[in-house]
This record gives sequence, C-alpha cells and structure tokens, in this order.
Amino acid sequence: MAAAKTIQLILARQLASCIATPILLVDDENALIYYNEPAEAIFNQRFDETGEMPAAEWTSRFAAVDDDRNPIAPDERPMMRAVVEGCPVSQTMWLRSSNGAWQHLRITAIPLFGEKGVLCGAMSIFWAI
Amino acid sequence: MVLTLWGTRGSLATPGPATARYGGNTSCVGVRGDDGTVLVLDAGTGIRGLGKTVDASVRRVNILLTHLHMDHIQGLGFFAPLFREDLEVRIFGPVSSHAGLRERLMRYLSPPLFPVSLRELPCTITLHEVPCGEFDIGEFRVTSALVCHPGPTVGYRIADGNGKVLTYLPDHEPALGASTFPSLPREWTSGGSLAAEADLLIHDSQYRADEYQRHVGWGHSSLTQALDFAALVDARHFVSFHHDPGHTDADIDRQMEEALAEAKPAFRVTAGLEGSSFAL
Repeated sequence: MAAAKTIQLILARQLASCIATPILLVDDENALIYYNEPAEAIFNQRFDETGEMPAAEWTSRFAAVDDDRNPIAPDERPMMRAVVEGCPVSQTMWLRSSNGAWQHLRITAIPLFGEKGVLCGAMSIFWAI
Repeated sequence: MVLTLWGTRGSLATPGPATARYGGNTSCVGVRGDDGTVLVLDAGTGIRGLGKTVDASVRRVNILLTHLHMDHIQGLGFFAPLFREDLEVRIFGPVSSHAGLRERLMRYLSPPLFPVSLRELPCTITLHEVPCGEFDIGEFRVTSALVCHPGPTVGYRIADGNGKVLTYLPDHEPALGASTFPSLPREWTSGGSLAAEADLLIHDSQYRADEYQRHVGWGHSSLTQALDFAALVDARHFVSFHHDPGHTDADIDRQMEEALAEAKPAFRVTAGLEGSSFAL
C-alpha cells in the first residue's frame, strides 16, 4: 500500500482534481504521486494506469529539451529543482509525451512546505505556450 | 483503556432540557490507562466535570488539544487540577507557522478574556507542539497528524499497551473538495492513517446531509460522511461526536436513525452521549 499522505498533499490533490490547469504533484523524495486530468492530456497517459512512481522512473519517461533543443537532465528540471533547492522554479521547455509528440510548455514548480517548514513535496503547473 | 465522554457538543455549549441526554458541554474526552496514565482530549467545557475525578493520587495530567478554537479550550481555566501545586500538566497542541502554542493559548488564558494568566497557575505546565511523530505518554503510544479543518488542527491515534486503538477526530471534514466521498483510498484521505482499523473512532458528525451542503469548508462532516469515513478506514466501533448546537436530542436521534438506514454500516455505531464510557 502507498504511504499515507500529509494533509498538504491531500488538499493539493483535491485542488488539482477540480481545476482545468494541468498539475503534477511529487512528494518530498520527488516521487510522482498524482497528476490531474488536464495533465493526463499532456503526458498522454492516465494517472489511474501509471499510478505512483519513483523519481527516476517517471522522469525517464519524458524527454525534455530547452528552446535550443539541448537536453535537460532530470535533476535540472523545475520539479526536481523545486524540491532540492526549496524555492519556486519556472522554465520553458519542450516535453515529449508517450506518443512522441513534442509540446512547448512553461513549467512552474512550487515547493510545498508544511508545519515547521517541513518540505512535503512540490506542485508543478504546466502551461502550453 | 477506559474513556469517558465529558462533552460531546460542537461549537457552543448548549445547556437546557432539549439537549439534556446528548449533553450540552463542548468537546472533552477523558482517557485512563491501565497504568493510571491520564489523558484529556480537548478542553471544552466538559473538562470541568472531568477535573472533579482527578484525585490527589494523580500527579501528572496530559491534555491533548486538537486545535485552539474556543469550544476546545474554553474549559481549560475551569479545570480545577490546574490550581494544584503538586500537579504536572503537559499540554499538547498544534503547531502554527506564525505563533507558538504558548502565545496562542495565552490569547485566551489572559485578561481581558480570562482573569488568570497561564503563567500564574500554580501547577507545573509544559507545552508541546504537535505533530511531532509518534511519542509515548505512559503506556500510550500517541500519533498525531494535521487533518482537514480550518486552521492548524490535528487528530490523535492512541494505542494502549494491549494494542487497542482509539482515534479522536472531533473536528474533521475529510470530504472537502471531493465530488463523491469517499472516492480515494485511505492514504489519500485526511485522517485515514490515524483512523486505520481503530477499535474506537470518535468522529465529527455535526450535520445532516442537507445541512453539510450549506456548510462546505466549515471543517465538519455530516453523520453520513462520518460513517462512510469509518467504513473506509475499517473502524470497528464508531462514536458520533461534536453535535451541532442547533440540534436537540430528538434531532440527533432522527439524524442517527436516517444515517444508519442509508449507510447500513457493518461495524458497531454508538451515538455520543455526554457521560457515556467505553472500555477497550
């Protein structure tokens, strides 16, 4: 069974599940724990089918390049940096989904800090350009 | 452990003949361990009656506050043991990002809201902020976690030396934001891990289903939602709690009858009456 989630992540998922903006959530170890229906359209994968995934697994599923077509390593992407650096990170990039299509996106990742400043995870917002 | 409901009313003390059976005192539950450990869950007006049962042989009392809304702390200044010099009182309460537990408690326990300041009490008081992982109080292993309710609010899972588990979630809205409830597994549900397979679950049951629709986001549950939550976490015995101050005894009887007919729970359900006791 998956680990119990903090109230901050539970409420973040509730919010994500009822808005039209594509959102992806990771926990404090950068494991993917949820993405909403609008994000499913970007990834071309349903969350119910993929489920939760460790960081190394889910980041390897999506190729990412910058505007000059230079590859962006997983640990240099906004979500990873938000968790590691503990601050918001925003970046434009091209992301390739499971059907091979490239999409131009602005991704903004926001770390989620709970009580006593404890990092619970991060929320990423995907904005089509 | 043996526990007694000293106050089951939510939001506002509601004395009077129409509420005499379920009781008018606000949230307070007393818990005694086999080793004599005393836990007090919340300090609503019910704590005044509990205080009379703390005899001179008791040297330490542990007060576990879920949050600092007035109906959960209003009785604190009337808890007679606080005025004993030989008593150690440990108060556990939720952490806040902007002020410490002492500062926030003193907003009530100081003039002009209360004539005696926290620092003037003769007992020895120590304050402990939660959640802080699992910790032991006498024979009890206590787990706390933030739950869905406005402002910093925790629930408690209390396991005794015999492995029996009491979960206390007096103010809790796990259905907030859900189009259907429950629709997610317990690890994705507020309070789910605290209440998992609890032998006794004391849970917010403030509203009828139609009333909840007018109070979404206020931090409370309908009795039907609470029963659904109990089923999700596989609770063995459910006790309704935090009755709406606008509900008479007859209203709560009817609310329980209707909710049971709809939910048809496979576990034991007891309406939370002030003064009732349970042995686990």
